[in-house]
Amino acid sequence: MKRTVAILALVSFGSAFAQSTPPAPPPIWQQGRPAAMADSKLAPLAGRMTETPRSEVPVSNLNLPDGFTVEIWAHGLPGGRAMALGDNGKIYVGTRIIGRVYEVTDGGDRRSVRVVVDKLTQPAGVAFANGSLYVMAIDKMLRFDGIEGNPNVAPVDMTAQFNLPPLQHHNWKYIRFGPDKKLYVPFGSPCNICEPTAEYGQIRRYNPDGSGMEVIARGVRNSVGFDWHPKTGELWFTDHGRDWMGDAGPQDELNRLSKTGLFFGFPYCHAQGVPDADFKKADPCNGVTLPVTLMGPHAAVMGVLFYTGKMFPAEYRDTMFIARKGSWNRTTKFGFDVVNVRATPDGKNAKVTPFMTGFMNAKDQSFWGRPAYLLQMPDGAVLVSDEQLGAIYRVSYARGK
Amino acid sequence: MLAALFVSAVFAQDTVALCASCHGADGNSQIPNIPSIAGQPKLFVENQLILFREGLRVSLQMQPAVQGLTDQEIVRLARHYTSQPARPATTEATDPAQAERGIAIAKKLHCGSCHLPDFRGREQMPRLAGQREDYLVESMLAYRDNRRTGGDTIMAATLYGVSDADIRTLAYYLARLR
Repeated sequence: MKRTVAILALVSFGSAFAQSTPPAPPPIWQQGRPAAMADSKLAPLAGRMTETPRSEVPVSNLNLPDGFTVEIWAHGLPGGRAMALGDNGKIYVGTRIIGRVYEVTDGGDRRSVRVVVDKLTQPAGVAFANGSLYVMAIDKMLRFDGIEGNPNVAPVDMTAQFNLPPLQHHNWKYIRFGPDKKLYVPFGSPCNICEPTAEYGQIRRYNPDGSGMEVIARGVRNSVGFDWHPKTGELWFTDHGRDWMGDAGPQDELNRLSKTGLFFGFPYCHAQGVPDADFKKADPCNGVTLPVTLMGPHAAVMGVLFYTGKMFPAEYRDTMFIARKGSWNRTTKFGFDVVNVRATPDGKNAKVTPFMTGFMNAKDQSFWGRPAYLLQMPDGAVLVSDEQLGAIYRVSYARGK
Repeated sequence: MLAALFVSAVFAQDTVALCASCHGADGNSQIPNIPSIAGQPKLFVENQLILFREGLRVSLQMQPAVQGLTDQEIVRLARHYTSQPARPATTEATDPAQAERGIAIAKKLHCGSCHLPDFRGREQMPRLAGQREDYLVESMLAYRDNRRTGGDTIMAATLYGVSDADIRTLAYYLARLR
């Protein structure tokens, strides 16, 4: 019985792909905003596309727990967000609107930045494996072989192998190779709230050449950050909650994929069991895998890093650092920080505590930076990217500071 | 031909004078289908210049004009134009019935929630009030029909399914706002 169901699911899934004529895209902006909020002036926050000089990056405004120090590690990468570490220490950084991928080289006393490729449609996804840089834009997958030693290598265009669907919204990528050497790629729901068609609202994994595509999780609204638990190897991923259901939520999520094929609720069931206001269903949370923990209302939760280094105190080993870019769909701002999240490997007993704050001033509601992604370096320091200022910070620890 | 004129002009003139040759001496355009840029939000101007320079927003007229501009020069240009007073592109009288229809369409599409209720714009969202009517029509059609590249996906989604007639009515209404 189980096998028949599985085969049926595979067949229906396969045919949905084969005949994929895109349906009329839902009008994103009109969606899901109730009459009561008709006069709201909340709108997505503006990113900055020009370079920010080093002197205008107010790193001294940042707060961390005792013993931790933060410095500007690199700057001059407008829109820089996800980071991937090359075999020889170069760091590749993706962006959205500005369409570039940067390469950052550590020269010892300073970092230099060059543009690897530009004019792509939101090349937010960057990953590195087997000496090659993988870049995924909304509508393209490029592989740059041996790029660290051969900076002008022409990319191999692998787009056709990855079966990318046509709609753009929430389909700028975060991509990463897992412990199983497969490439994990989320496909966000192309709306604020809707019933996504078969190719959206999910996370897939592929072999590096695009073969062996599997959908491993569904009911995911928009995930742009994940990592694997160092002990269990399970995928833990963040997911953005929907807009226009008020200041309190539904909150962003941290989820755990204990096995493939789980359903995480979108669009019917949000957060820890909040039924959707527009897409109603009897018993909406039945069969839904609920989050490990909630990550705050409209927080724009982004990168996840399980810390495995030796530089930070032992209590941080196997805990997560998670970046929250910060809210737009909330009358009082929330997020704009990096938090430390602890939980047992089974996803229970979660605790979220502030780690890096100071990007946003709650008193006057101003913000200057938006932390997006984290990267653990070989020496155990952690890099944090700031998509707003196009800078990368280095967080280090020394006892007795 | 026009592109070549622009390329030579870059070396002969101050950049603001180059902009003025199309967008008007005070940033208020007198030329059909060329937008007014006076009084536009600073970040909006910066972003559009970046998008043109990077080739992400395609324009045969704009790309030669901004080729080679540094980020600092772009910031300077944006600072200049945001402080110029915007003057409405048309002094024609407004038909009240048309204006009422325009208000209703704008309300339905929530234009004012981003562009603000008086459509003066802010941050990365442009001033629509008093913009050239022909440019407003052209832009909205381009967004609706996915011909406007670069930038956020939100404008295409907002105008999805909006009729030509409604777009013209919106443009009529917005162009006549002070």
